[in-house]
Amino acid sequence: MVSKKQQNVCRSCHRMVDGDACVMCGSTNLTDDWAGYLVVIDPRHSDIAQKMNIDAPGRIALKVR
Amino acid sequence: MSEFGNKIYALKTTANKERKVVDDIVKLLKDHPEFDIKAIMAPDELRGYVLIETPDEYARMEQIVRLIPNARAVVKGETSFAEVEHFLEPKAAVAGIDEGTIVELIAGPFKGEKAVVKRVDAGKEEITVELYESMVPIPITVRGDNVRVIEKAQE
Repeated sequence: MVSKKQQNVCRSCHRMVDGDACVMCGSTNLTDDWAGYLVVIDPRHSDIAQKMNIDAPGRIALKVR
Repeated sequence: MSEFGNKIYALKTTANKERKVVDDIVKLLKDHPEFDIKAIMAPDELRGYVLIETPDEYARMEQIVRLIPNARAVVKGETSFAEVEHFLEPKAAVAGIDEGTIVELIAGPFKGEKAVVKRVDAGKEEITVELYESMVPIPITVRGDNVRVIEKAQE
C-alpha cells in the first residue's frame, strides 16, 4: 500500500524519522518502503513493546524493506 | 491474561484509514489522560482494524469510537496477546510463492494480469514472472507483495 506522503523510517531500528537522521540510533539509512504501523505509548507496561524489545515510546514500522 | 494485565481490543475503522485512526488516538490521549493505552498497532495484513493494547475495560474503547472520526466500532470481547503476536514478526512477502505458481498482479501497469512465476528472489523479496496471455514471453520482475497467489505449483 503506497500512500501519497510515506513517512521515512530508520532501516536499523524501524523508527519513524522526520528529519535526515534517526534520533534514536543516529543512522541515516532511511527508507519509505515499510508496512505495518505500531505506536508504543508506555513501553514498560506493554506486552507488544516487550516482545519487540522496544524501550522508548514512539512510532515504529513493523516491516521495513 | 498477559503479564501486565493488558487486554487487546480490535477497533473497526474505515478502510485505509487505519494509520490515521492510530494517529488520532495518540492525539486524543494528550487531551484525555484518563485513557490508559499502552500501544496501538495497525498491521497491514489486517485491513480495516486497529489493535489497541490497554488494561482498560470494553466501555472505555466504546468511548474512543465516539471521539475518533474514522473509528466505527469495537469488536466485542477481548483478544489475547498470543493471537496478535504473529503480526509483530511479519513473514516474508514471497513466502508461499514458488517457481511455477500462478499469480495475479495486483499493482503496477500489469494490474489484473495473470502470470507464471519463473524465479523467486527471497532476499530482495522480488519475483520474476511471465505474463500468461502474452504472445512472447517477457520476464517482469515485481515485488512479492504486488501479487496474489491464484494456484500453487503442482508437485
